[in-house]
This record gives sequence, structure tokens and C-alpha cells, in this order.
Amino acid sequence: MAADSARTAARRRLYLVMLLRSVARRRSRVLVAILAIAIGATTLTGLATILIDIPAQLSRELRSYGANLVVVPSAESSISASAQSAVDALVGSDGLVGRAVYRYETVRINEQPWTAAGVDLAGVRAVRPYWEVTGSWPTTSQVLIGRDVATTTGLGIGSRVLLTVAGKDDKDEATAFGVSGVLDTGGAEDGFVVMSPDDLASVFGTGRGADLLEYSITRDAAGLDAVASRINDAGLDVTASPVKRLARSETTVLNTLNSLLGWVTAIVLVLVTITVATTMMAVVTERRTEIGLKKALGAGERSIAADFLGEGLLLGAVGGLLGGVLGLGFAELVSLQVFGRSVGADWWLVAAAVVVSLVISGIACLLPVRRAMRVEPAIVLRGE
Amino acid sequence: MFWRMVTRALLRQRGRRALIAVTVALGVCLSTALLAVMLDVGDRVNAELKAYGANIVLRPRTAAVVGDLYGDLGENASGGSLKESELTRIKTIFWAYNILDFAPFLSAEVSVRPGGAADATRAEAVGTWFDKRLDLPTGETADAGMRALRSWWDIQGAWADDRDPASVMVGSKLAADSGITVGQQLELGYRKATAKLTVAGIFDAGSDEDGQVFLPLASLQKLTGRTGQVGWVEVSALTTPDNDLARQAAQDPETLSAREWETWYCTAYVSSISYQLEEVIDGSVAKPVRQVADSEGVVLAKTQLLMVLITAMSLLAAALGIANLVTVSVMERAPEIGLLKAIGASDRAVVALILTETGIIGLIGGLVGYLAGLGLAQVIGQAAFGSAVGFSPALIPVMALFVVLVILIGSLPAIRLLLSLKPAEVLHGR
Repeated sequence: MAADSARTAARRRLYLVMLLRSVARRRSRVLVAILAIAIGATTLTGLATILIDIPAQLSRELRSYGANLVVVPSAESSISASAQSAVDALVGSDGLVGRAVYRYETVRINEQPWTAAGVDLAGVRAVRPYWEVTGSWPTTSQVLIGRDVATTTGLGIGSRVLLTVAGKDDKDEATAFGVSGVLDTGGAEDGFVVMSPDDLASVFGTGRGADLLEYSITRDAAGLDAVASRINDAGLDVTASPVKRLARSETTVLNTLNSLLGWVTAIVLVLVTITVATTMMAVVTERRTEIGLKKALGAGERSIAADFLGEGLLLGAVGGLLGGVLGLGFAELVSLQVFGRSVGADWWLVAAAVVVSLVISGIACLLPVRRAMRVEPAIVLRGE
Repeated sequence: MFWRMVTRALLRQRGRRALIAVTVALGVCLSTALLAVMLDVGDRVNAELKAYGANIVLRPRTAAVVGDLYGDLGENASGGSLKESELTRIKTIFWAYNILDFAPFLSAEVSVRPGGAADATRAEAVGTWFDKRLDLPTGETADAGMRALRSWWDIQGAWADDRDPASVMVGSKLAADSGITVGQQLELGYRKATAKLTVAGIFDAGSDEDGQVFLPLASLQKLTGRTGQVGWVEVSALTTPDNDLARQAAQDPETLSAREWETWYCTAYVSSISYQLEEVIDGSVAKPVRQVADSEGVVLAKTQLLMVLITAMSLLAAALGIANLVTVSVMERAPEIGLLKAIGASDRAVVALILTETGIIGLIGGLVGYLAGLGLAQVIGQAAFGSAVGFSPALIPVMALFVVLVILIGSLPAIRLLLSLKPAEVLHGR
């Protein structure tokens, strides 16, 4: 019994010594093999991380097209502050990119009527990133004027503008504002005078609420429909509707981009796997002589296979771990470069990369070993 | 003698040589496919983003200023108009091929009376081209119309037909309010004129358009007596994302130097295409729709950068993979090289032999891989975009250079090792 276990221990020690010696002696080949596996694992982890992360990131990017859910008053009224917060609560903060409140009034500049819009400026910048402002965004007692307003009235950045409204008893009341910038959107806003809600309230009073609530949410068409019907069913006297044009187009574009990246990733992975396997096979194939020698010395097929498999798995584990970590680094780099946002490091993917590397290097080792073992030791040793 | 050795080596150890050729082929296949897709991805994604609608709107100069402000200026104030006869010129500008689609629009407030009903409702009628074949001054034909510019519309029934002046489409809200159904007769009234039309389809646009009726442009022109006039034109163009030059030009093209101006004019910026459109359509102002044009630029730039990084990563992986295998395959021939050296081969002869062999294998593998890569690019194009990926001749020299460099670099460490071999030691099996 004791002799048996001592022999097993000795054999185990011999196995380990052979394995380590084999790795240490053939340093350059081992390096090549580890490098091959690490490259494969880097690509695997990097691309997989990007692929998992991309739909959310792209969906966020597509939000630059503007709000995809709008809420307007049902009747000829406006949305009160309490209704606004009720709607906010129904929309929730999940996936919310931005929210903006708009209140429209008519003002006159040089006796010409224009639309004045009171908007919370931080909100509108999040919801409508495409608003192009020459000059700066307004602060207190300042306004943005649309390009058409600027062209017609001849006002520019830095000039003073008198906004006239009909006050009590049809007497005109004029308020002076500074022009901080010119707004260019190519849409209806080119004819607007934009200011903060407080400034608009100082001219028109706080009597009316908002005319329009805009939400930019990273959700698909079905998700938006659900939110809209939730708001419509809440009995708030408002009508919510998804902006169909954006919701529908976003689905189309996202599907296309995702399938593009999916296909690219799949193809890269298959080809890289094959390349890694061929390199491993080449590394093992050149050791036919060694296999022949072992066989001549009386080693069984199993023990030879175990030798090579052990070595392959060792290389696979080291290369896979190295590549997995490098791959996460690559994904992080890409995400920072492209989207300016970091990816959550998913250590499961590194584990998966190690497992895949083990499997590939194991198979790639065993195939040539099996072929080599079919050969007569004498022939191999003679060098043919 | 040299060539006999090369051919023998290639023919005798077919298995191992094939392994290298296969790896080179795989690497080149991958690189070719990704490069081809990368070079093309801008146009493809841009085309996909066209689903968001027009990115340039042409308005009459007089209306561009008062435009949307007054909404209804009353029936007499048309606010200026463009000429329908000039529209084909849109397809003759410098960037004509980048104009994917365009459609003219003319609107008027009309009364809508469903057949059999006594009461009429007021609604905005929009005349347009739905899907029209145009004969260009150049003798070619082109398709234009709003169908592609409203890809998100849900249609019940069918699209109205430009060739059938009596067809009309009704918005879902208007249809629900007035009880209009597909196939019903509809009478449109404008001042004293009336027109009898048949409802071809009911559309759900999810916007204000749901309260409008759309009919062929010619029919509305006839009804309102504004023959040959167009209110505005929506244009969908493939554009390059804006940079500083484009922004400066958008402010005022006159501030550019002659050279800058030429660069700007000959690049498909949204501002230069707008400028060219203004040149060909009399009395028009072309405005980029920032919501679409800018967002397009953002998404496009990010997608392209993403593809560039992924491609770079894959090229690197492919290159390292190939170089790796070349290194191994050269190393395993140590005994053979030792023998050659022992019988008096010079270092130079050994290097020439190995490089020639590897080069031939690499080229064969590279050629196969290149062809397979082109095929693979088409597979990706079909799967992702449903259309073929363009063939870029520039890829041939690039891939040839890639293969040669990778094989040379892959051989270098191995060759250095082989040259330092002592024949006696190698032959002894150490």
C-alpha cells in the first residue's frame, strides 16, 4: 500500500518535472504558443465585451436625434407643475437621457410677432443636442434668438432686444433682454426667441404651465408605447405619444448595426480560433521524434497523451488569462475612444476566455499527438 | 538546383506547407473582409440612417424668413414658391449621386367632405410626389418621391399613385374623426374649386401629419390654381460629418480662401450640398435639418471609429497569428538547415531558400484568402445591410503588402536563430 502510494507520488513528481522541464527547455516555442493563445483570447474577450456593451451605447448615441416621447396637454390648457412631476414619476429614471419642459407665448419685436419659448436650458441641451448655438447659452435676462429672427430683425449677439407683450387694458409692456447667442436648427426653432422659464414668467406671469414635455429615453418602440399608455391612463389631462419617426427608425438602425458587429465578431472569432489551433498543432507536430522516443522507451499512449495534454492545458491557461485581461483592456480602450464611456469589466468573460483557450489548446495538442502515435517508433527515430 | 530544392520542399512536405498556406489564407481572408466592410461601412450606415428622413429642406427665399412663424398667412399669401420644372436639376449638381431622394411639397387648407356626408371639415392638404420616375436633362432617369422620406409611416390600404390624379391618402386622426375609410369617395374644396378623389390609403405617422391629407402634387396644383409651383422640397443626401471647415463655410462661404473653398465645395458636407442646391433652384434657401444632419454625423463618426478599431485589432491578431506560424515552421526545420550548412551552404543561400519557399506558400495562401475575403465581405454585407459591399481596388496592393510584410517579419526571428545554429550540434539532435 505504502509502496504503491509512494510510487504514485514519485510518478506524479516525474510528470511535473517533465512538464516543467519541457516548458523551460523549449522557451522560444513555448513563447510562440502562449503568444498565439493570448492573441486569440485577447480578440475573444475584447470583441465579446464590445458586442455585449454596444447595443446600450449605440442606443444612447442615437438619442442625439432628440426626444422620443412627447407629452402635450389634452385640452386647451397647459401642463401644471404637479402634473409635470406626476409624469416624471411615471416615466421614471430608468434609461432617461434627458427631459425638457417648453412653454410657448407670442411676443412682438419691432411690432413683428414671434414665438417666445421658455425652456429649462439644461434639459433642452440633453434632449436636443443638435441645437447649434453661435455665441453662448443665455443666463438671467438673456435670450437666444433663432436664425430667422436674427436675419429679419437685424439683431445679433450682444444687442439688446425689446420684447413687447399686450399687458393690462391692452397697453403694451416692453421688457429688455440681452441677446447671448443665435440658434440654428433648420426647423421651426429658427423663428423662436428662447429664454429660461423664469425669464418668460417675469414677462407673462406664472399663470400657465408647460405646453410640451419632451423625454429622451433609451427604450425600444414597445417600451415607449408602454410608458405612453401608462401616462395616458393616469388621468392627468395630458396626452403622451412616442415620436414614431424616431422610435421606428432607431429600431431599424440599431438592428442593422448590431447585426453588423455580431457578424464581424463571429467571423473574427472563428478565424482566430483556427489560427490559434494551427499554430499549436505546428508546435506539437515538430515533436514527433520525442513521441517516438517515449514510445520506444515503453510509454503507453495514454501517458504520452497526458504529457502533451498537460503541457497544452498549462499553455492554454497562461495564454488565456493573459489574453483575457488584455482583451478587457482593449474593450475599455475602444469604449473610451468611441463612446467616451467605460465598459463594466466583466470577469466572467475572462473566465470564459480561459476555458475556451483550454479547450482549443487541448484539442490542438491531441490531434497531432494521435497522428504521431500511429507511426512506428523506429521510423520516427530514424528521422523520416 | 535552387529551384529544384524549393519545388521538392514544397511538394514533399505537403501537409505542413498546407498548414501555413491555410493560416495565411485565413488571416488574409479575415483582413480583406474586414477592410472591405470598413471602407464601405460609412455609406452603408449613412444609407440606414436615411430612415430618419430628409436632412436638407429647400424653401423659397421669401418664405424661409417668415416661414413657419405665421402658420396660416391666409389663402392669398403663398409666401413665394419654387418651380416644379427646376426640380430635376437637383440630380445634376456636383454631388448628384449623393442625393438619395427628394420630394416636393405644396400645402393648402382645404375642406374635406367624405362621400355621402353633409358636413365638411377643414384640413391641411399636402400635394407631393409619392414615387415618381424622372427624366433628367442628361437623358438618364431617376426615382424621387416621399415614400422613402417617410419610412416610419404605417399604411392601411395602399400608397397613393402619382399617375392617378384622383388618389388621396388620409391621416389616421382625420380619418377617425370624420369616419373616412379606404376606398371611400372624398370631395376636397378650395375656395370655389372642388375635386373628387378616392381614398387609396390611411396612414399613421405619429405626428401632426395624421390630421392632413396627401395627394399627388399635380392634383393639388390644379385644385388651388398654383400650376407648376412647389412650397418646399425635402432632400435626403448622403453627407460627410461636419468639421471646422464646414462650419466656417456654413457661416459664410465668402470667408474661405480659394483653396479652402474648392475643398469645401468638393466634399459632401451638408453645407456644401445645400449651397449647390441653392445654385440650381432659383430663389431658394436650403437649410440643413440639424436634428437629422448633426445626429447622422455623430452616429456615423462613432460607427466608423468602432469599425476601424475592431479592424485594426483583427489585422493585428491575423498578422501575429501568421507570423507566429511562420516562425514555428522555420524553426522546426533546424536539422535540415544544419545539414545544408554542413555540406557547405552559405548563410545567404539558406535565407534565400527559406524566404522563397515561405513567400510562395504565402502568396498562394494570400491569393486564396483574398478571394475568400471578398466573398466573406459580401456575406457580411448581405447579412447586416441586405446589400452588396462595394469592391475597392485599393485593397489588392494593401493586402499584397500586408502578406509580404507579415511573412518577412514572421521569418526574421526564426532566420536569426537558424543562422546561429552550429551544424554539428543540430545534426547531433541537440
